[in-house]
Amino acid sequence: MSSEPYSFSLTTFSPSGKLVQIEYALAAVAAGAPAVAIKAKDGAVLATEKKHKSILIEEHSIVKIENITNHIGMVYAGMGPDYRLLVRQARKIAQQYERNYLEPIPTTQLVQRIAAVMQEYTQSGGVRPFGVSLLICGWDNDRPYVFQCDPSGAYFSWKATAMGKNYINGKTFLEKRYNEDLEVDDAVHTAILTLKESFEGQMSSDNIEIGVCNKAGFRRLSPAEVTDYLANIA
Amino acid sequence: MTKDEDIDEVHTGFQFDNLARNNMLVSRGIQMPTAVKTGTTIVGVVYKEGVVLGADTRATSGDLIADKNCDKIHYMQPNIYCCGAGTAADLEMTTQLMSSQLELHRLNTGRQVLVRTANRMLSQMLFRYQGHVGAALVLGGVDKYGPALYSIHPHGSSDYGPYQVMGSGSLAAMSVFETRWKPDLELEEAKLMVRDAIAAGIFNDLFSGSNVDMCVITRDGATHVRPYEVANIKGKRLGKYNYKRGSTAVLSSNVKKIEIVSETVKKTPSSTDESMDTA
Amino acid sequence: KITYFQSILSYNGGCVVAMKGKNCVAIASDLRFGVQLQTIATDFERVFEVGPNLYIGLPGLVTDTQTVAQKLQYRTKMYEMREGRQVRPQTLMAMVQNLLYERRFGPYFVEPVIAGIDPSTNEPFICAFDLIGCASTPGDFCVAGTCEENLFGMCETLWREDLEPEDLFEVISQSLVNAFDRDASSGWGAVVHIIEPHQVTTRRLKCRQD
Repeated sequence: MSSEPYSFSLTTFSPSGKLVQIEYALAAVAAGAPAVAIKAKDGAVLATEKKHKSILIEEHSIVKIENITNHIGMVYAGMGPDYRLLVRQARKIAQQYERNYLEPIPTTQLVQRIAAVMQEYTQSGGVRPFGVSLLICGWDNDRPYVFQCDPSGAYFSWKATAMGKNYINGKTFLEKRYNEDLEVDDAVHTAILTLKESFEGQMSSDNIEIGVCNKAGFRRLSPAEVTDYLANIA
Repeated sequence: MTKDEDIDEVHTGFQFDNLARNNMLVSRGIQMPTAVKTGTTIVGVVYKEGVVLGADTRATSGDLIADKNCDKIHYMQPNIYCCGAGTAADLEMTTQLMSSQLELHRLNTGRQVLVRTANRMLSQMLFRYQGHVGAALVLGGVDKYGPALYSIHPHGSSDYGPYQVMGSGSLAAMSVFETRWKPDLELEEAKLMVRDAIAAGIFNDLFSGSNVDMCVITRDGATHVRPYEVANIKGKRLGKYNYKRGSTAVLSSNVKKIEIVSETVKKTPSSTDESMDTA
Repeated sequence: KITYFQSILSYNGGCVVAMKGKNCVAIASDLRFGVQLQTIATDFERVFEVGPNLYIGLPGLVTDTQTVAQKLQYRTKMYEMREGRQVRPQTLMAMVQNLLYERRFGPYFVEPVIAGIDPSTNEPFICAFDLIGCASTPGDFCVAGTCEENLFGMCETLWREDLEPEDLFEVISQSLVNAFDRDASSGWGAVVHIIEPHQVTTRRLKCRQD
């Protein structure tokens, strides 16, 4: 591949020192559907908006929140197909780790390794950066973890954060509402309210998704459970 | 570019870098050492609501007992377990690898793994290695189609049926099933039959021994009992063979204190933030 | 033909034993490095420190003892730097398993024995492998090397539950010394490590020199 002409990396430095492809990728993320993550005292929560382009779409045929292992979950803002590739990679990385060390992968290790994959796509020939930012939450070491992973391969640990469309409002909202003593149930509420900040129309279990992580592991809530949470808020 | 694999020295697939040297040694008259084998009696039987798997717990290396209480019933999935006979390392690694691949399959399809899927993946892998991976398996589980039981041979062929046996004690174990098996067994009947089949192996086959392990799989999950029965209780030592402190002649003694008694290093969010904020 | 011994595992001699005690473990080995019937050195270490209270013994063909020790050191140090934590005994077990099984069809001629204490739980841990990485984790003792069978007999007789560190030292030392005194290719000195959560005591034993 690399011997062919023009197959060098798309991400070449501009004279000002920027990698514009990465900035464009971040723009794709910022235009994507909102996603929220909150770390609670006894777990962590992921939530995302899942609006459909047409009423003809089968709502529950697409899921955005995915299990990577029993104790780690992931969601994204940006391009769905790119995300699904990363999900498969992440699961593979997690399984490889478990076979090497006979121990479930710690969340920090998974995040580092996914970030390495994303970084590789900013420097390799013939590829483009991923058009997604990831929110990854997990439980190990007797505590919850929440991470964000960007197209550049940069990663951050958060107490709570939002990304995608209107993420600035989301973050401002979280800054006001977040406190360290939050429990998972409260965190789910806060996550829904954060999504609500920018949500147009009526929220229902058809157009939002929630994932919860605690000692027992990570799981995506069923539509019925989401409906219950929504009922409590209204 | 340097791959993670190179840095970590963790490879996928087998390495053959010692092969030339080892063949040279063999050509000069050295015998290749033997690996630990599980001579083994392993069985499985389908009953009304599920599957009962059973195994003995002896591992042998030549005619030496290498492990008196080894675990031959391996976890595959919450609804699938697998008993193994043959080369112990092959069994351990094959079942670990398959369990991991089935977990990926479960996550990527979002469904409970079918027993027939596990059977197919295992037999295809063993066939690929043409019998060089020495694993003989009894695979059992319950899925949406109900209970299922397979045996898989080292070369990749596989059998399906209401009762299966494998290993050097399989003849002894098979005699129990051939005389007593009937359709629609109750749980207690099935457990007793498995217990008796394994015991037949333990007491009649030299390469099977020690305890009876059992795993019952139903629609609601699996219970792996280890040991189900201690078939051979170790006798109490009557004499006292205690050496008094100070009996052993010591030339030198050096005590190295460990300052950190127990260590839990947790990465704080702030430290990762600072070092990685490159965006 | 170059060999007096049939098995390449007996070419250089040497043996290792590990035992569990009450909140402690011990690992001991002889110190002979021979080439068949000729003794080359009597101060050869075949037990290696992996962490503050984690040791591994690698009896077998000495060239492989050293190669495997170096490869393991590389892998464990990389692990420690990447994860910012100590290698646990169970983790080391998985690493050894993988290292040996990768060479399933062209093995290293070593039969490793691990002894250690889990840094987070202070649980004692021992395990032994065959040359292609099949691990066994018994509750009492592990043996490997040229006088494996002698060691099994000694350990079955002398080992008992809940040994205090000082008693564990006597039991493992007497098991080892009396086992290799009946083996021509092991012996010439012994080293014993008694591993406790807060300290490791290393003793060298007075032995026959024949």
